[in-house]
Amino acid sequence: MIKKLQIKNVVAIIGLSLSLLVMSLSGYAQSGKVTGTVTDGSNGTPLPGVTVKVKGTQATSITDINGAYSINAPANGTLQFSYLGFLTYEVAVNGNSVVNARLANDTRSLSEVVVVGYGTSTRKDLTGSVASVNAATIAKVPVTSLEQALQGRAAGVQVTNNDGAPGANVSVLIRGIGSLASYGNGPLYVVDGYATSGGINNINPSDIESIDVLKDASATAIYGVRAANGVVIVTTKKGKKDGVQVDVTAYTAFQGRPKEYKVLNAQQFATLANDVAANSNGNFQTFDAWKDPASLTNVDWQNAMYRTGITQNYSVALRGGTDKVQSATSISYYDQKGIVLGSYFKRVTLGNNSDYQPVKWLKSSTSVKYSYQDSNNPFGTGSLVQLSELPPTLDGGNKFTNQPSDGKGNYGFYNPIYTYVAKYSNPVNTVSNDRYQNITNYLLANTSLEAQVIDGLKIKTFVGINLTTFTGSFFQPEDDRLVQQYGSQAGASQNAFYNQHLNQTFEWLWENTISYNKTFGKHGINFVGGVSEQKNTWNGMGGSGIPPNSIIRDLSQVTNLQLDANNPVGSNTGNGQNIYSFESQFARLTYKFDDKYFINGTVRRDGSSKFDEGHQYGVFPSGSVAWRAKQEDFLKDTPWLDDLKIRGSYGEVGNQGSINPFQYDALYSTGLPAASSGNLGYPFNKIYQKGTASTQPPNPSLKWETDYITDIGADLAFMHGDLTITADWFNRKSKDFLLLLAAPAQSGYNYITRNVGSMQNKGFEFAANYNHTISSDLKYGIGLTFTTVSNKLTSITSGTDFVTNFGGLSVQGIGWSTFTETHVGQPVGEFYGYKSLGIFQSQAQIDALNASAQAKGKGFYQRTVTKPGDRYFADTNGDGGVDATDQTSLGSPLPKFYGGINLDLTYKAFDFNAYFYGVYGNKILNYTESAMESFQNRGFVGVQNVSADYYQNRWTTSNPSNTYARATSNDDAIGSNLPSSAWIQNGSFLKLKNFTVGYTLPSNIANSLFLNKLRIYLSTQNLFTITGYKGLDPEIGIQGGNATQNGIDNGTYPSSKFYTIGINVTLK
Amino acid sequence: MNMKKLSIILIAVSAVLMFPLSCKKDFLKQTNTFSSTADATFQKPQDVVNLVNSIYDTYQNADLLKKSIWYYANFLTHDWFNNGADIVWNYYAIPSDFGALPAFWNNAYIGVARANASFAIIANAQKKGVITQALADRLTGEAYFLRGMTYYYLAGTFGGVPLELNAITTGLTPRASQDDVFKQVVSDMKQAETLLLSKTTLPTSELGRATKGAAYGFEGAAQMWLKDYAAALAAFNNTELTSNYHLMPNFVDVGEFDHQNNDESLFEIQFEISGSQSWDGGWQAGGEVAWIDDFSWPQEISGFGYDYGNPGLWYSYQPGDLRKAVTIIGPGDENKSPGIIAKWGGIKGYAVVQSGFAAGSATYTGDDGKIINTCGTLLHPWYGTDGTPRSGYYCAKKWRDPNLTGANGNSTIFGSQNQILLRYSEILLDRAECKVRTGDIPGAMADLKLVRDRAFGGTAPAVMQDGARVDGSPAAPITDPLQMVLSEYRHELTAEFSLMYDLRRAGPGVAAQFIHNAYNTSAAANNNINQVIYPYGPTHDGKTHGVWLNDLPAGRDILPIPQSAIGLNPNLKQNPGY
Repeated sequence: MIKKLQIKNVVAIIGLSLSLLVMSLSGYAQSGKVTGTVTDGSNGTPLPGVTVKVKGTQATSITDINGAYSINAPANGTLQFSYLGFLTYEVAVNGNSVVNARLANDTRSLSEVVVVGYGTSTRKDLTGSVASVNAATIAKVPVTSLEQALQGRAAGVQVTNNDGAPGANVSVLIRGIGSLASYGNGPLYVVDGYATSGGINNINPSDIESIDVLKDASATAIYGVRAANGVVIVTTKKGKKDGVQVDVTAYTAFQGRPKEYKVLNAQQFATLANDVAANSNGNFQTFDAWKDPASLTNVDWQNAMYRTGITQNYSVALRGGTDKVQSATSISYYDQKGIVLGSYFKRVTLGNNSDYQPVKWLKSSTSVKYSYQDSNNPFGTGSLVQLSELPPTLDGGNKFTNQPSDGKGNYGFYNPIYTYVAKYSNPVNTVSNDRYQNITNYLLANTSLEAQVIDGLKIKTFVGINLTTFTGSFFQPEDDRLVQQYGSQAGASQNAFYNQHLNQTFEWLWENTISYNKTFGKHGINFVGGVSEQKNTWNGMGGSGIPPNSIIRDLSQVTNLQLDANNPVGSNTGNGQNIYSFESQFARLTYKFDDKYFINGTVRRDGSSKFDEGHQYGVFPSGSVAWRAKQEDFLKDTPWLDDLKIRGSYGEVGNQGSINPFQYDALYSTGLPAASSGNLGYPFNKIYQKGTASTQPPNPSLKWETDYITDIGADLAFMHGDLTITADWFNRKSKDFLLLLAAPAQSGYNYITRNVGSMQNKGFEFAANYNHTISSDLKYGIGLTFTTVSNKLTSITSGTDFVTNFGGLSVQGIGWSTFTETHVGQPVGEFYGYKSLGIFQSQAQIDALNASAQAKGKGFYQRTVTKPGDRYFADTNGDGGVDATDQTSLGSPLPKFYGGINLDLTYKAFDFNAYFYGVYGNKILNYTESAMESFQNRGFVGVQNVSADYYQNRWTTSNPSNTYARATSNDDAIGSNLPSSAWIQNGSFLKLKNFTVGYTLPSNIANSLFLNKLRIYLSTQNLFTITGYKGLDPEIGIQGGNATQNGIDNGTYPSSKFYTIGINVTLK
Repeated sequence: MNMKKLSIILIAVSAVLMFPLSCKKDFLKQTNTFSSTADATFQKPQDVVNLVNSIYDTYQNADLLKKSIWYYANFLTHDWFNNGADIVWNYYAIPSDFGALPAFWNNAYIGVARANASFAIIANAQKKGVITQALADRLTGEAYFLRGMTYYYLAGTFGGVPLELNAITTGLTPRASQDDVFKQVVSDMKQAETLLLSKTTLPTSELGRATKGAAYGFEGAAQMWLKDYAAALAAFNNTELTSNYHLMPNFVDVGEFDHQNNDESLFEIQFEISGSQSWDGGWQAGGEVAWIDDFSWPQEISGFGYDYGNPGLWYSYQPGDLRKAVTIIGPGDENKSPGIIAKWGGIKGYAVVQSGFAAGSATYTGDDGKIINTCGTLLHPWYGTDGTPRSGYYCAKKWRDPNLTGANGNSTIFGSQNQILLRYSEILLDRAECKVRTGDIPGAMADLKLVRDRAFGGTAPAVMQDGARVDGSPAAPITDPLQMVLSEYRHELTAEFSLMYDLRRAGPGVAAQFIHNAYNTSAAANNNINQVIYPYGPTHDGKTHGVWLNDLPAGRDILPIPQSAIGLNPNLKQNPGY
């Protein structure tokens, strides 16, 4: 078998270095005149216009229409061939009179193939704005998901790892925030031609051939109502016609423990508690067990819950084919043990691409991607903040142990009688004893049949399915340890609980297209038109097991699984079915003249069942022009400019804003079960009767959101294509956000889904790539992307000019229900709160402010309970006192710019990659810090741990800090830790996302091992971050998919350093 | 091109062409399996009943009942004070963004909208034969009653509010005048009177539904707001009221847990237990159980103590008035609730008291050295354990549910005790006021006597006189008939859902003057935040104990329109006092 492979490999095109050229020599001459023909290495066609230069001299020639050239060169000279779109090639004359050259395609250049919707183009022919990332770039960094591969690589694309949890989602924003709707800002992903409605979890990153990001309306309009947030086209690797390639990649990564918050140990904490108690007028009484701090045993919760993570990834791919059949098959296994106890992510992917062309005019293509995922994150974002809050001692709790776990089945707990700690539980116990299961299967499969009717005219039918099934369960054993030790005063025992959910999303897509691609002299026409139908069906079932008694400690004892009562659509616990459908027609026509002038028009008409009859169809047109100025006579011979293209486009695209179906219809509901606040019933004679009420008024005019996008861009190339620059200016105006928005209650509804508001994103994108070969041993490249987006809300509803945070992110504490307020004219998600002026230093200062407040008719300046040591807020409206109306804008979570820097260096057998990602000019609301400066567990009766920094520097009479407030047990009443400028911090950062050193075995050694190529590498991710941010990690994105809750650090699963060792092998 | 290719191409081309044809018109038409449309919903009688049930449901809300109506009815009179986040009520500085006001406003209007929507649906269901004429009448009557009652509390609390009367509205209607709203209440109640069942015919299984009597009660009260005392009297004298409702023989039973839906109650908000009654179920999961009762218990018992009494109210009860011990208790007073005594043996039975006493805490030790059975002692009044000032006097009227333990013991925090909005003794007092207004003083005195005789367990003293003034000095006999009625409103109805409404209804400035007289308040600056040292009794130790005695400022006898409502409906104008 190996032998067979080797034979086939004679003509393999594996590895650019081997396929660069075949040189033919004929004859021998003493003369200085050298002639020859330059051809395209990929297909042998002659290349006119190639610059031929004698290295180190001024002698230059250009190939003619047949690719032929003639030049005078010394017999020992070196010829240099350069042509845009091809790698510069050097060859020694060696006394030959004929030197032919085959130039290899430079995939970085403007002649690269770009996948656009329903077809392909070349970069030089593009009229729209498209950023591309190729397989080679993706391969440089071990990534879990393809979104990560996009980070910093594509201008205009902002990728944020919101959460470091294994398998966590990554947020992708293309050209800013264009919708206020929750989960309304994600791009459309098109995988091997299939426009998915869900995510792209089923793709193995090493299967990706290219990612093309369509950004302007000219490029995206072919996807109509789903295109407003940009389109990410993912193309997976196919088998190539000649030969076989087997790739094996493997890596193991160690993930270090994350940075930890410095919090108090047991002795410091108890000292603080006793101190607060002594100064509280009896307001707070310390726990008996804490009265002697020296006696306490410390519990370091961060230490108990964090661990070193390990990730293993293996992937095998077999790709190859014959003239008629090409196939690519891959299998991968990914297994990550997260850095938080109990968290893991396992994934198996299977993929196959098959192409079959039995006759020249007929071709079928099939792509199948399957993925199995098992993930668990029992103590993640939202819970992790507890690790810095839990009191650092369990003394006075479980009589058997005062440790999180004693290893003998005993778990420490907090004293259930002492109110100030009673509500806390031991996360080690929870993670160790609760049972979770979250298993998802993804299948994305499509097949197409394409026939060429006449030259240039093709018809194609494409059918695909996308299936996702989820099964999840949760079991919590009965727990009566508190009651056993403390009796009924400890409250009730925790009963056993079991629930299980199954849901499935099945979607099919059928598209028929017709395309015509023809060149007539200087005229070129490219047309595609088609029709499409897509239908998505969600089914879900979920139930809870009611154990027959409360002493169940074992999953196997669960019985009586009963279906949950009616749950709302969208929660994955609902029971029922949810269907939506699309039907569409679309067309695109591109005309080019003389390779200089390009004009493109696109239109799509989409019908969506999410809207009412009469409002279902939307038409989304776009147009663009491009001028390839370099082709003009006056630039043709400009030697320093290798290419110049200027583009402009305008178009309309839509967004359904992820709304659920039937938002247009008048609906009635029987509400949630009796034991919830969402019930609509009422008891009569003490027996509950159901209620029915209208939950949604009719809103037949509901429609999609619309974006109007203008783009002006230029593509330039210099230095024989070594340096390419793409720059775009864009103006994206979005309107009619589909929002479930607060309505006047007089209408009968607290919230109504409406089309409201408008927003603008203006920005500039810049991408530059420079690749230079100094010698065959030394090559380097620098890539830079840079994006600025300026976002502002331009209108909201009639009668209001702002919208506060919505989307469900809840942070604890009185006064924390509103923390952002987006005003017309301001960027979305601006932080909102009080302006901190420091700390009150004396009663006289407070009295004076109260007196002047009273003179203005206010009762007091800030609060009646205000004392020295409390935070001092500004009376921004000058009415004499501080109240809710004094809250003000505190800065924006949106960066002024973001981008990435990529450095590549190859020296002999070694390769190096360093890749930086950074954002600048954004603010972060450091909620975690506000929590760690509050001794009270806000919103509850309870006390919590604080940061060491706060403990040492807090205001006391002997330490009159102007930064840190005094410690109290009732900050809810005092309000020092309200949302305020004290927690707003600079969020700019520059992170070394990746640094890799690789070594490729010399080919002669590899060959002797029957290998084509073997590369081993060491890589590290997140090695360092340069930032002024005080929290653990400044890379914080949008929470809950809603742009009004962006940049809030509420204790996300931290990202930490990965150290990876890996191997890439290509078998012969 | 060979034949095979041709045929394949033909098939392909026709497929392309056929595709649009195959797109049937209903490809974009889907069926909702999670919520139903109006047409699909009301097919059976119970569906239509459920529609009306959902109007009642808007009242099952502690923010609406406790933090809006109850606070208004009681904090504004200075009989009760808040301790906690809402102390602005103590000095009449309620902000327009006070959290509970939108809950009140929104629930009220959603209830109104549900009522408005129900009329056509009920009529349609009756026309289609889904429900009988009788059921249609009853349900329509309930909808009218609930809409009218909601407008009654809205106008009583905020003054004039927008009148939404149609099933479909943008919700941008501006405010109507207070009189127009009460005229609407009268109109709705008159409709309800003709359509509702009488208390005598309402099946036991439907206990809690509006009855004719309740409609007459609210109609009469609304007529009083409109100063049409004759019409009010006509309503109050209707036999639906006078024959079907009776004073409970013992005043204490009116508010007892085991006397819910009693013979004196005209209308009460019903509660029942669904799910857990502790934080995890009742509050965190949002169950519609009420955190109304133990909210006000002493912190020493419940961990809360969020409201407490004015010692002046304790002193104002005339000697022999049995209402005092079951309305407000202080140092040395036992809890006299039969239900509490039966379950716990009194205060001494609570787990927190027993463990505290066992630990030797003075808080839980009586002055006799035994376990405490009183609401604090004269030596150690219960001012709360958190050091923030409380008076040591607590609401005994809401300390009746024997299941509750507050945040201690088994943490039963949320209770299922119904909340009585209107009861027959208020009707008698209302009727007395109407008779005073119309010159029938003997008639008024007769009505007052009915209420007072019961209060004194037989025969009330002939002279009506407060126990003591706030400074301990003797009070003068009350002889002015209107003041007699107002004083009885206070002593009968305080800590329920009526008092401030009844005082404000009596006319401009009447309430402020009444509070001024009752508590010797002073015209300190608006929003005076300073509590005073109570000048008399065990609490008079030279320290402040959470008592405010400032006048009710002009314009603050109604609450501010919630800022959020103004934000969403710019046509709303704020009350001038705010």
